[in-house]
Amino acid sequence: MTGRPERGGLDRAAVERMLVDTSPYLSCDDCFARIDEYAEHRAADPSHRDELMEVHLAGCEACAEEARTLIALLS
Amino acid sequence: MTIVDNIPAGLGDVVSDDDWYRHLGDPDPAGSAAQRTLHDLLLRATRTQVWRLRNRLPGVGATDLEDLAQQAADDALLSVMRKLDTFEGRSRFSTWVYKFGVLHAGVAVRRQAWRHREVMLSDSLPMADHDHSPSAVAEGGDLVRAVRRALESALTPHQRTIMLALLVEQVPIDVLAERLGTTRNTLYKTVHDARQRLRRALIVSGHLDPQLDRRRP
Repeated sequence: MTGRPERGGLDRAAVERMLVDTSPYLSCDDCFARIDEYAEHRAADPSHRDELMEVHLAGCEACAEEARTLIALLS
Repeated sequence: MTIVDNIPAGLGDVVSDDDWYRHLGDPDPAGSAAQRTLHDLLLRATRTQVWRLRNRLPGVGATDLEDLAQQAADDALLSVMRKLDTFEGRSRFSTWVYKFGVLHAGVAVRRQAWRHREVMLSDSLPMADHDHSPSAVAEGGDLVRAVRRALESALTPHQRTIMLALLVEQVPIDVLAERLGTTRNTLYKTVHDARQRLRRALIVSGHLDPQLDRRRP
């Protein structure tokens, strides 16, 4: 079976995803390089801040999903 | 042990000792034991990620989910062994290992979820906005219209195509990268540049506050 989905709509949620400010830039590879250290800090202290990582995770759902799972594994 | 049982018992004792990994690759019993410990850690990570994402695979049973977790753990083990000399000790070794398992399992689930789905690529905007509630129209209608204009005037056709596929159609970034023969990094950079252009256009037109709070994960 080959699914042919309807095209998504340009609704408010899609607009919000488009307007996320992803500066300062961090690549997915650089996020992966730092994500283990970031997850340990967040698991130990949920108020830990890391601007570069937070900005990237706000704009990249795949990396954000990986960060959530990693933190869950450590918690 | 299956994905339903989830976490191997007794792993905590192993994880607490981060020196075991120094035996990885050794051609002796200590090396074999280290390899088994590594696989157990990866399986814990892949089972956890597959289980968390199981709603992306409706109709897939526990046995198939377990197969997916096992395959992802096998693939992740090869990645870890290739990258072993890049471990710098900035996290515990077990945490460093987990991230490979989580990555491979996430990619496996997303690819399986989209295996039979067509990825629609177009630089033309969707015809209709789907959110017609009175509050949405009042609060966001003007912004949505401004975004439509900026998408056409401020972005290149390629930036528009990638942004629409990832952020409107919500094709997972690794699935799109595979279909286009490119990398997650390249696609994220394209979307980053497109977002910058879009935001600048909307700030100039007065539709976006440059100090708008960022969404947090």
